Amino acid sequence: MSEQKLTVGIADMKMLKGEGILVTYALGSCIGLCFHDPRLRLGALLHIMLPLNMETGRAHPLKYADTGIKETLKQLEAKGASRSRLTVKIAGGAKMFEIAGGSGLGNIGQRNIESVHAILKRENIRLLAEDVGGKVARTLLFDVASGQGCIRSYGQKDIIF
Amino acid sequence: MIKNFDQLTSLEIDTLREIGSIGTGNAATALSQMLGKEVRITMPEVRIMGYNEAIEWIGGPEAVTAGVLVKMSGDVGGIMLSVQKLELVNFILETMLGKGIEDYEELEELQQSALIEIGNIMISAFVTALSGLAGININLTVPAFAVDMQGAILAVPMAEYGGMSDYLMTIGGNFVCNGKEIPSHLLLSPDLRSLDFLLRKLGVSDE
Repeated sequence: MSEQKLTVGIADMKMLKGEGILVTYALGSCIGLCFHDPRLRLGALLHIMLPLNMETGRAHPLKYADTGIKETLKQLEAKGASRSRLTVKIAGGAKMFEIAGGSGLGNIGQRNIESVHAILKRENIRLLAEDVGGKVARTLLFDVASGQGCIRSYGQKDIIF
Repeated sequence: MIKNFDQLTSLEIDTLREIGSIGTGNAATALSQMLGKEVRITMPEVRIMGYNEAIEWIGGPEAVTAGVLVKMSGDVGGIMLSVQKLELVNFILETMLGKGIEDYEELEELQQSALIEIGNIMISAFVTALSGLAGININLTVPAFAVDMQGAILAVPMAEYGGMSDYLMTIGGNFVCNGKEIPSHLLLSPDLRSLDFLLRKLGVSDE
């Protein structure tokens, strides 16, 4: 089977329609969001790194949860997706290093999770499933035809969600 | 004031390379003394890379590696990361404990402690050289340790300074242990303000 497979980098988003797999590798504190419109079989995978965009100029919207989600929704809607049908599954937000007495470092994952939750709620997008937090990195694969996600982690069983 | 890493002049890059050379050299000496083996360094590099480029450079996102991470504060803020690939891990473990591993999953507590200790010693040696050179004070946290996909490990300094820059700056070099080159990445990722301060302290940046 010569299925199409697209790789999504950090601070990046890709869309596929019909059939194919979107994949993003090694999510640590970053979060991967799989948007899906089942009727159109349209999917988007967004890989954000930080919770809120406070940059002047906002040249890189996809790096942040708030502007990244908005930009993705805009592009999905331009392809005919409807908010009432759109669902999302998320993975990531881990804490890779436990620093004793450390400052904010390592909390970025948690802050990303909270920000993503708040923005999805505000945008009225239904959160179908999530696998977030913890201490391990996740590779996220997303089948745009079925909307099924698969999470691959080191030394652990794959999670289908 | 430097606004982004890609604004560095070649004189500034040269200075950073020199810091990398002295810092990594010091770290290699510390490693050599600890293990009782000859350890030298190859030509150190200063690299300023986009996120996805940095991950390709270190060998792809999903390869599993061990990372020892220390946070710097004081006159210079930033992160130092010792990325220990299996070859270096085995060089350390075989020398210190007489036995290496085939896979990171075999790591036991004692072996893990050895890797953390070695990482910490190399990082401290690097930072000591840096503070001596610039006449500044840098405080270090206790080391944190993780074994996981290296893309996620490298994303830690990226995310920490991601709000300020789209680039990751790394200063570091490989080790030559007993005549054999062993890929090792000792990475210094300063925050932008500290980098600016550091370059001014060293007299290569305008006020």
